Amino acid sequence: MSKQKISNLIQVILFLAFIGGFFVINLITPDRAFSEKENRMLEQAPRFSFDSLFSGKFTSTFETYITDQFAGRDKWIGLKSFSELALQKKENNGVYLGEGGTLLTRLDRPDENRLETNISAVKKFAGDIGIPVYFSLIPSSTEIWADKLPKNAPSYGQLELIEDLYSGSGAVNIDTYSALYGHKDEYIYFRTDHHWTPLGAYYGYRALAEAMGFEPRPLESFTPATVSEDFFGTTYSSSGIRNVKPDTIVTFVEDYEGLTITNYTTGSAEEGVLYDYSKLETKDKYSMFLGGNTPLIQIKTGHEGPKLLILRDSYADVLIPFLFEHFSEIHAVDLRYNKSSIKDYIAENGIDEVVISYGVTNFVSDANIFLLGRQ
Amino acid sequence: MVFSSILFMFIYLPVVLALYYLSPLKWRCIVLFVVNLIFYGWGEPIYVSLMIFSTVVDYVHGMLVEKYRANDRLARKIVLSSVLINLGLLFFFKYIDFFIANLALIQAFSSLKPLGVSLPIGISFYTFQTMSYTIDVYRNDAPVQKNILKFGDYVSLFPQLIAGPIVRYKDVAEQLNEREHSVEKFASGVRRFIVGLAKKVLLANNIGMLWDVYKVMPAEELTTLGAWLGIIAFSFQIYFDFSGYSDMAIGLGRMIGFEFLENFNYPYISKSITEFWRRWHISLGTWFREYVYIPLGGNRKGTLRTFLNIFIVWAITGFWHGASWNYLLWGIYYAILLMIEKAFLLDWLKKAPAIVSHLYTLVLVVIGWALFAIEDLGSCITYISAMLGGGAGFTNSTVSYYFMGYLPSLIIMAFASTPLGVKLLNRLPVKSRQIAIPVLIAFTLLISTAYLVDATYNPFLYFRF
Repeated sequence: MSKQKISNLIQVILFLAFIGGFFVINLITPDRAFSEKENRMLEQAPRFSFDSLFSGKFTSTFETYITDQFAGRDKWIGLKSFSELALQKKENNGVYLGEGGTLLTRLDRPDENRLETNISAVKKFAGDIGIPVYFSLIPSSTEIWADKLPKNAPSYGQLELIEDLYSGSGAVNIDTYSALYGHKDEYIYFRTDHHWTPLGAYYGYRALAEAMGFEPRPLESFTPATVSEDFFGTTYSSSGIRNVKPDTIVTFVEDYEGLTITNYTTGSAEEGVLYDYSKLETKDKYSMFLGGNTPLIQIKTGHEGPKLLILRDSYADVLIPFLFEHFSEIHAVDLRYNKSSIKDYIAENGIDEVVISYGVTNFVSDANIFLLGRQ
Repeated sequence: MVFSSILFMFIYLPVVLALYYLSPLKWRCIVLFVVNLIFYGWGEPIYVSLMIFSTVVDYVHGMLVEKYRANDRLARKIVLSSVLINLGLLFFFKYIDFFIANLALIQAFSSLKPLGVSLPIGISFYTFQTMSYTIDVYRNDAPVQKNILKFGDYVSLFPQLIAGPIVRYKDVAEQLNEREHSVEKFASGVRRFIVGLAKKVLLANNIGMLWDVYKVMPAEELTTLGAWLGIIAFSFQIYFDFSGYSDMAIGLGRMIGFEFLENFNYPYISKSITEFWRRWHISLGTWFREYVYIPLGGNRKGTLRTFLNIFIVWAITGFWHGASWNYLLWGIYYAILLMIEKAFLLDWLKKAPAIVSHLYTLVLVVIGWALFAIEDLGSCITYISAMLGGGAGFTNSTVSYYFMGYLPSLIIMAFASTPLGVKLLNRLPVKSRQIAIPVLIAFTLLISTAYLVDATYNPFLYFRF
């Protein structure tokens, strides 16, 4: 056989061995149910029926299924991420890879109509409700840590956006932005998650204290406790960017005797906890704070003070513990999961003050805030 | 089903190749027909009936043309009937909603509602192929096909079914009956498939993300340089996407013994628009020349008639690309450029320095892509005027960010648009080439598989045509 023939034969065998080899390997490797790295359930083999075949559901599910269950999926994804980095790519799925392995989500120009709807709902609520309403918009890490972004990386400016929204809120606006910006060299945001850290929330709490007129506890009076050193958060999952260091979770407020938390995660009242340490065994470690997303949480702090209602998103999970000693009761409502009338709730529970607290990136895209404007 | 997917590469292809090569020669035509239908019906099983309908109808027309060949008037009517049925299919599935939507703009027809017909994939390609069959048989350019399965193989052949090349019947007539299989041919098919896979998965999808950014950029943020950067990204995307698909088709064809004609020949190195269209989507240009332009009289009936013919052919070519006004405009844009070149410019360009004619061609082609890429006419005008200096300033930091970020990709793609890579490879001593090629194949397979497994981003551009 000539050398040329051998070379051709090698090419053919290489190709067939690759496609045929993975065909066989995929047949014999067992399916996985869940991907830790991607934080989602993987697609399972679809059940065949003629209905699903002709609606196209069978074939499209089948394609997702075999791609999700491809042998060595995590390694392939790592190889892709590696080759992107080799090409000097600093962005994947709308997330930038910033300095020091910081993952920063790009904010695109917000939808004008949504902005208008949301801010006028806040204004209407603040004007009608008859008790003090405080309004705090929390900038994201992309804004406060803009100097960690790749050079010239575009992201919609949040300072101007917050000022714009504040000018039309009709509430007492909280300058959370400056409070965070003043400490931007500290570990105030997670590097692999879109939330602020408890330390960041502490500075948010100080801004709140200044506006609401109570004396905040000094930072030195807390005993920080490191509860996790391998937290990979939401931006890690959504970006697909690998090869970054995990985050550390440090708690400040300690649990104490006399704190009663009632959580409505499932719709009915259950005993809640300040820190759910079992969540540290899962991927979604941020949900250890007050047990994660929930429509309603009612907290009896055991302290003297007014009753506070906080209308909030998940940023507030780490903020609320700092407020315990200043209020007798704290009620936290997440409008995404709780559609009941806020006005009635305030009357029924004798609420004295309201804080509306949102991450600004959530506020500009949330589709439930209009509920506030209802009578 | 698309080639650049896990399903195709790691299930369909190994199974099809095994079935094909394990079955005895005389069974291969039926094996091929069945696997073709599975390939076609994967996304929309109902449209398999359309494929069978086309096969039967055009098969019968071919037989009738052969039978009544002596009676030319009748034979012509049979050809006409075949053409009308094929165009009718194309019209109904691709264009009817466009016409309804535009008619509804007129007061008298304002109650008309679009039918919401979903476009069967590849219909623009295979209706053109089946039309060529009856015409070729009538013209005695190819013998009639008496075996309906072999004819079915031609209509539904999976490598070129959904995105070409548009194979004229006479070019494959003999191969349908008998074709050569060899290790050499299979190996060349593998190499070609790998080139196409790399173009599609590694180049086109990558630069497509840059176009995605600029495609949706609001007018108040779109600067002149940014608009150019965006549309240059699209120009690379569509070239590597489409020519990559053709490469994969040609490669797969060789793996099962077929030899198709080339579809692209480095279009971006052209020195005139006339040359560009001889290098871009060659099979479509050939089809229109052979079955429309020349029958209309081509360039043999005087200048005025030639210009009219150019206009007709390019308007249809444009409209073939999609049922929307911008595609028609895009076709007419090229008709005008080609007329100007024919009138005098071509002679000038020949004398001009190479850099001038290259730049002239690239700039006009890139502006053409803006017409092509943005279906909404208002946005299209906004975009092109931004390119011509009427945008939100000349440049901004966003442009610098994306330009720097994509610079390595842009350089690789500019290089890959020229024949330099192939030339370099051929310069290598035979021995190093024999090592380099398997290494490149393995490398491309590995990286492409990684991208396909991570396939959150794998849209295929030519699906809509």
